[in-house]
Amino acid sequence: MLRPFTLHRPETAEEACALLAGLGEEAAAYAGGTELLLMMKLGLLRPRHLVDVKRIRGFGDIGLEPLSGRRLTIGAAVTHRAVEQSALVRARCPLVSSVARHVANVRVRNVGTVGGNLAFADPHSDLATLFLTLDASVELLSPRGRRELPLDDFVRGPWETSRASDELLGSVTLTPWASDTAAAYVKFGVHERPTLAVAAALRLDGTTGAGRNGRDRIVEARVAVGCVSLKPVRMAAAEARLTDLSIGDLDDAARAAADAAAAGVDPADDLYGSADYKREMVAVFVGRALRIAAARARGAESAARFPHTVVA
Amino acid sequence: MTIRLVVNGRPRDLEVAPHALLLDVLRDTLDLKGAKRSCDTQVCGACTVLVDGLAVSACTYLAVEADGRSVLTVEGLADGESLHPLQRAFVEAGAVQCGFCTSGMLLTAKAMLAENRTPTRDDVLHYLRGSLCRCTGYRKIVDAVLAAAETAR
Amino acid sequence: MSARPLRVVGHPVPRVDAIEKVTGRARYVTDLTLPGMAHAKVLRSPYAHARVRRVDVTRARARPGVFAALAGADLTWCDPYYGPAYRDRPVLAIGVARYEGEPVAAVAAVDEATAEEALELIDVDYEPLAPVMTLEEALAEDAPLVHAGQPPAGHFADLSTLRPRPGTNICHQFQFARGDAAAALGGADVVVEDAYRFPPVQHVALEPHAAVAAWDETGALTLWASTQNPYSVRVELAKMFDVPLARIRVVVPHLGGGFGSKTYAKLEPLAATLARAAARPVRLAASVPEAFQTVRRCASRVAVRAGFRRDGTLVAVACDADYDVGAYADIGPRVVQKGTYTATGPYRVPHVRLEARAVYTNTTPGGAFRGFGVPQLAWALESLFDVAADRLDRDPVDLRRQNFLAHGEEFAPGDTPIDGKLEESLSRAAEAIGWTRAPAADRGRGVAAMLKASVAPSVSEAIVRLHADGSVTVLASAVEMGQGTRTVLTQIAAEVLSVPLARVTVVQPDTAVTPYDQTTSSSRSTAMTGRAVQVAAEDVRDQLLAIAAQNLGVAARELALADGAVVAPARRLTYPEALALKFGMSGGELIGRGVIAPGRTAAPLGGSTPFWEMAVGAAEVSVDEETGAVRVERYVSVADVGRAINPLLLEGQDEGGVVQGLGHTLLEEMLYADGHLLNGTLLVYRVPRADDTPSELECHFVENADGSGPFGAKGAGEGSLIPVSPAVANALARLTGVRLRDLPLTPERVWRALRARSPRA
Repeated sequence: MLRPFTLHRPETAEEACALLAGLGEEAAAYAGGTELLLMMKLGLLRPRHLVDVKRIRGFGDIGLEPLSGRRLTIGAAVTHRAVEQSALVRARCPLVSSVARHVANVRVRNVGTVGGNLAFADPHSDLATLFLTLDASVELLSPRGRRELPLDDFVRGPWETSRASDELLGSVTLTPWASDTAAAYVKFGVHERPTLAVAAALRLDGTTGAGRNGRDRIVEARVAVGCVSLKPVRMAAAEARLTDLSIGDLDDAARAAADAAAAGVDPADDLYGSADYKREMVAVFVGRALRIAAARARGAESAARFPHTVVA
Repeated sequence: MTIRLVVNGRPRDLEVAPHALLLDVLRDTLDLKGAKRSCDTQVCGACTVLVDGLAVSACTYLAVEADGRSVLTVEGLADGESLHPLQRAFVEAGAVQCGFCTSGMLLTAKAMLAENRTPTRDDVLHYLRGSLCRCTGYRKIVDAVLAAAETAR
Repeated sequence: MSARPLRVVGHPVPRVDAIEKVTGRARYVTDLTLPGMAHAKVLRSPYAHARVRRVDVTRARARPGVFAALAGADLTWCDPYYGPAYRDRPVLAIGVARYEGEPVAAVAAVDEATAEEALELIDVDYEPLAPVMTLEEALAEDAPLVHAGQPPAGHFADLSTLRPRPGTNICHQFQFARGDAAAALGGADVVVEDAYRFPPVQHVALEPHAAVAAWDETGALTLWASTQNPYSVRVELAKMFDVPLARIRVVVPHLGGGFGSKTYAKLEPLAATLARAAARPVRLAASVPEAFQTVRRCASRVAVRAGFRRDGTLVAVACDADYDVGAYADIGPRVVQKGTYTATGPYRVPHVRLEARAVYTNTTPGGAFRGFGVPQLAWALESLFDVAADRLDRDPVDLRRQNFLAHGEEFAPGDTPIDGKLEESLSRAAEAIGWTRAPAADRGRGVAAMLKASVAPSVSEAIVRLHADGSVTVLASAVEMGQGTRTVLTQIAAEVLSVPLARVTVVQPDTAVTPYDQTTSSSRSTAMTGRAVQVAAEDVRDQLLAIAAQNLGVAARELALADGAVVAPARRLTYPEALALKFGMSGGELIGRGVIAPGRTAAPLGGSTPFWEMAVGAAEVSVDEETGAVRVERYVSVADVGRAINPLLLEGQDEGGVVQGLGHTLLEEMLYADGHLLNGTLLVYRVPRADDTPSELECHFVENADGSGPFGAKGAGEGSLIPVSPAVANALARLTGVRLRDLPLTPERVWRALRARSPRA
């Protein structure tokens, strides 16, 4: 049951920011409500004002960033379903649309938004983990102006971001991988929300075509692990183990990278599992994600299916 | 706030509070009791209704969001006394037991078939991830959805 | 009578309430509205164990829109205690709160929002006490006591011999012995023994508990309640309010799932108390988290020793079972003794020693849940059977077959002889799973069997009315909760009276209208209520035959019923014609009565089970060795049901039983830490989803028409669930060599066991 509140429906970001600034802690930005209304029903949040951001121009748009013409900007009020179905997303960041297809369930995807997902910083959400491998940055708007923050700086911990109370999350901008990048997103868990998630992307050297080392060399690796530490993290040590390797050597390297990733997470005992189990599972699923990505690099789709596991 | 919406094909003008949930408006104001409150956390699907054809959890959806939109509840699924093919398939396949999940299952399946006329069993399982049933073991529900898809072709 | 082929019984007809359910017209308790109805909310204890020093509801009571605000101390005008085994449970905590979530105060107000706001105006002064959260803590020397005194017994004859141990947390002990188990175990060639744990799990009926209560101007009470046994609820309320049974009316609309969670009084006492205080109808609807604070399955630790001769003959079983019944006994003591009574399963065992204890803890009360104590014991015994098979170097299927009780063999002196063919179920399950063919290298197979008694003695009564137009009303109080009893009763009446299904109406249970039925549980409705309906319909049939015999001048034995008429060799008398002849006018009706009341017997539990529920399960599993995640790829259930009155509904019920069993086998467990339940919502308590159902799931039935129910039927619906855990664990053991003793078989638990077997290189 919800307590009464006043609903504001600004049509410009300026108006919305002014409302948030004026109402302070009494107000909450509201888009799909799949997180916010849930927390309000559970009594964990009790805002007296909701500022609906869905009518703000541009908040529902997906487009290419004008400046670069290459980066992909997703408005805060874009639903998971819209991401899943966007031809532009599929063309520029195909894994993002595949992952959107597996967020929560169909009803949440129809209503829940990208901005809400990121702003709540639920440690068991999918998007932030994946977006870390896409050099995501978020746009924050306030009466003081606009700032852009790397996603990694924006998400500070469980349900904690560096958004000030008068700031509004306007959009997230992703840097699509170069062509010749093969990637996979794998999540595992028995609960409603995943126990862990791994995003892995391997960029192969695309300059020499069919040459001996061409298209076969991993020139850049990106690995992010979510749900296990206090926030999703890029696993630099794991990435380093993969860079400048032949894809043919990936099996051995994947094991080393997986172990490096496992060493780099900071799990705690909780309902989702014991810390040592989760650490071990990070190794298992980083390995799996890399092998699936490598198979895709070879143009193959792994037929392996794992229980309680979603592969996107 | 005044909202204007279409519920099961019928235009409605309603006065609702901003914090009114669609589920309560449907059940208490419009006396459409087919959508049920169960988990109240968007996990179980018992409160599923379609808004402009998309499945939503009415338990966590503000009624004011339905302004200007078309809402379909299980009561609007049949054409008069003539059951929708999904309803017929559920009856015939034995996909109904206690009935508490049934309206949500039917509407979720309807939304799926609108998107995908030739679903595989895996497609159905994917779409029903957020629809819980504690009675049937799901097999007959999935069979019923596939049978209805077959009939519609 | 005649051996004519059955027209509707045994046929897979669609359920009679399907249309109302697929159109959203079926009404459940929370769909009801009464004029002037108030809405209730409950303030619950945040502590597992606390002294409740003071509850101040004055500010809540003064809030506009509040009709009543009550605390335990206010309930001086009724007996505030209830409970079927012990009357140990107060409507609202009195002096002590014994589990997290126990109702401490309650409000009835003009709407739910006002009631919820009023709860925040209630001040409670708690003094936290040390809780006992586990069996070990509760059974420790000098453990804090959940109940200081000894509560009075409840209302059941078979529980009149409750044996609490004063000064401990043991609220009941059950002992049963035959032969000399200790000596036989000493002389056995092979003895296997181990202890197995079963977790606390919740039913998660999609409809949480709900009740609407209304007192009328004459002081009579009507309740619309989500209950599986309106007649037990009536007894509780009559005692609480000291009113005659006849002045309490319990009506049961459609139930959104029960599985045992809605047996015995749950929310009804509080709803009735609030309605009395508010002087208006009150609706009390629980949320899912509140259902987790209302009832759960009794968790258990079961230690079993089983002795075999070298040739595989089982000679002795000793079993020590401790069940955690939570903060209030509910029906826990019966769960404990009935479950333990059949601890030896479907096997011939000459020497038996069974001891069980029901133990109070400061957790959600444990009660009935599909299987009623048997899944906990079958988990132990059926796992051990495979351990024994390994030790004896025997095939697990053969070892079971060798030791099965035979058809007609005595289970215990005075109890019903075995009324089914276990070997037939086993053979069919083994065949369907392909037992004799090797599975794929990454698959393992396992089997398990079960035997369960139904509640005894028990009573079911029914009335069948044949109206002037030839239509039929069935009055019976078996609750339709999804299992299909309304359809089955319709089929039985239609069969006996030879009318179309559409001519039969089964009235919803209403203690003012429909006759006594003890309970809709224990898989008893088809066999007991169904038999009462059959007898009542036969009573009507006999009256029709008598009318026809008199009016047609034909001996009754030459008459039969067919297509809504009494048929003589050359004549035909429709039912309307027969009634018109009897009454001399178009009016009047024939009333038939059926009473099934076997009464008390010399059987160990005081009554002989009306039937034995018997089933075999076979599982084929795979495991993701790196994560420990187990997947049940194929599952076969074979239940000996005597006769499937409706094979379509029965198949659905058994499929649901298997998948519900997969829940506690692989996923479900209520987790407590620091005195708090950690996962009392569906966000973190995971029940099976559609993609957890085995891709191949088959439910078969053995039908030899050898049951005591109508047309040879026996009870069914619990049997499919019970073998699931041991069948899956046995399959996992045969695949991996790892034997798990604790449920659920979560990925982490399996991963740990696999790692202990072969440490990672």
